[in-house]
Amino acid sequence: MPVLASVLGVFDITLDKLGDGELWLAQFFRGLSDGATYASVALALVMIYKSTGFINFAQGSLALLGVYLAYVFSVEQGLPVAVAVVCAMAASAAVAMFVERVLIRPFPPNHALPLVIVTLGLLLIIDSAVGIVWGFRTRSLPSMFPSGAPIEWGIAQLTWRTIGNLGTVFAVVGLLYLLLARTKTGLAFRAVSSNLESARLVGIRVGPTLGFGWALAAAIGTLGGALVVPDLLLEPSIMLRVLIFSLAAAALGGLDSLVGAVVGGLAVGLARNLLVTFLDLSELALATAVAVILVVLLVRPTGLFGSARVERV
Amino acid sequence: MGVVAAGSHRHRRRQIIGWALFAVVVALIPFLIADTYSPTILGNRYTVGLGNLSQSVGLMVAILGLNIATGYSGQLSLGHSFFVGSGAYLTAVLVNEFHWSYLSTLGVVVPGLFVFGVLFGLPALRIQGLYLGLLTFAVAAVFPSIIRLDEVADRTGGSNGLLIDSDLEAPAWAPLDTVTGWLHAVPGVGSRVPDGLTGRQEEAVYKYFLLVIMALVCFWLVRNIVAGRVGRALVAIRDNPLGAAASGVDLAAYKTLSFGISAAVGGVAGTMLAMHSGFVGPDEFGFSMAILLIAGLIVGGSGTLHGAVAGGLAIQFVPHWSSQTQTLPGTDVALEGPYGTAILGGLLIAIIFALPGGAAHWFRRTKARLMPVAPQPPGS
Repeated sequence: MPVLASVLGVFDITLDKLGDGELWLAQFFRGLSDGATYASVALALVMIYKSTGFINFAQGSLALLGVYLAYVFSVEQGLPVAVAVVCAMAASAAVAMFVERVLIRPFPPNHALPLVIVTLGLLLIIDSAVGIVWGFRTRSLPSMFPSGAPIEWGIAQLTWRTIGNLGTVFAVVGLLYLLLARTKTGLAFRAVSSNLESARLVGIRVGPTLGFGWALAAAIGTLGGALVVPDLLLEPSIMLRVLIFSLAAAALGGLDSLVGAVVGGLAVGLARNLLVTFLDLSELALATAVAVILVVLLVRPTGLFGSARVERV
Repeated sequence: MGVVAAGSHRHRRRQIIGWALFAVVVALIPFLIADTYSPTILGNRYTVGLGNLSQSVGLMVAILGLNIATGYSGQLSLGHSFFVGSGAYLTAVLVNEFHWSYLSTLGVVVPGLFVFGVLFGLPALRIQGLYLGLLTFAVAAVFPSIIRLDEVADRTGGSNGLLIDSDLEAPAWAPLDTVTGWLHAVPGVGSRVPDGLTGRQEEAVYKYFLLVIMALVCFWLVRNIVAGRVGRALVAIRDNPLGAAASGVDLAAYKTLSFGISAAVGGVAGTMLAMHSGFVGPDEFGFSMAILLIAGLIVGGSGTLHGAVAGGLAIQFVPHWSSQTQTLPGTDVALEGPYGTAILGGLLIAIIFALPGGAAHWFRRTKARLMPVAPQPPGS
């Protein structure tokens, strides 16, 4: 035991902290709540990767724009929050469709690098446009879910917000699954993502299908943003931090797997909250997440649920 | 001008004239803008100092390093700022605490970052493509929080950054003042050159030449690497890993080697940036620099040496100019808020649209059209 104690001492772990069940549970709930928000932005990233094979670094920015629109609709125009969020999802979907048509479609889809730069440029434009229009004053967006906690266990609270965040993410995955597996549009989308040339040859209109993918991704991202914001405060750099954790979540789960995005998001959220608390690494929250991902990717290079790329020689 | 055969006397002469012109321009510029140069374009006043140019020379070397791992051997690394930052901090700490000279810190920075890059390259053997890109991007975002850690903050200065003690003063033998006097006497251009240099101007000019020489050495070394056996192996890995392996290229060895060289060159770039500003701060080397470096690589032209030069100029001067644009060009409408960043983003997209292969590709095509060179017929 002295050896163990000295090893743990390096990380400032006090054993009574480890034995504190309430703290565990409290951090577990917080991890689930954070994880749900990362998962929803990761879902948006995965949608784009599945259809086009690259990462949309502007995904967080589109969500940022959507969340500010939700703020305008709910706080300034007085709509109920849930309605405002739905309107904002529709608006950001329209913006994303426009962006895809004007800035993305002119490029050959098989060269990822120029497209990555275009989305990085978009990130800079949208983030600063939000700063120009709404300024850098922090604002607060009310949550879609009631406050309070139905289940309490000392300091550990399972709040309505945590339940709502988790429920929203699972509902989104369920609907996405139904959309992709059971509808004609979903079939077209899957055909385009599995083989763009063949999809075109069998008469699928590839352009509008990809535009639809972008719109859907932006709407999901905006929903994710609306889940995050009540915890933090609304200001123009808020989605950048979420984006990094969500990118990590998408890589962890596998870039082309919707289930992977959810599992990855929850895992990153839990890793962040549990490891950081018990190893006392509050300054290294992101580094902890990165270390977890590095280990997972070393064992499975395409993430937990990603499909390995098969190459024909 | 007619078509010139490659390797002929006329071709040689043209190449020599081209390089001589380049050398003259590089040598004259510091004297021309030793006083800051402030043109007014469409109602906006822009100020360019020699310091901006020196910094862009450092960024060119940073992009050159990234070019080896990403441009030549095709491994998407969005975390190059981590190496640049490590080099800069290593230099800063060695100069401050052990009173080394700037240049002697390279003796630690280059081998240290090489080993670090090789270690970094080991996971990259398994993790590929965009997965590697995302992982390295996250690593880049982690750098500032490592610098801020309480355990190292008393050495790295934490959030405040580190002011480096050593000043780079022009040595007595450097005839900078004399040369300025000569140039001032030249009719025509002379009016742009000051009569003599103040102490600060002399220091800036000296730093510029020092950085340019360091950059030339780096470019020369990297050119020798990429033009030889190692470079061919790296390009083969980029274009077709399976084909390269089948031709006897040891994928693992060359990939880790490319990360090692890439990191070492990035470390030198960090030392150069530290020399330029005499200050290192954690947020300078965060993911905004990572984004700028990869943008510079693509805008300049990935996998070319000219591209690193063009990219270094672009990522220094485009943000600099866009942040100085105070009114809508040509009108009196004032721009308030982060317009500079928005313009930068717009220009990035515009450049990708206008020059799909990067500036180097465009430069090569234009040159081939204006001054065609016929390849040497075989056997002659």
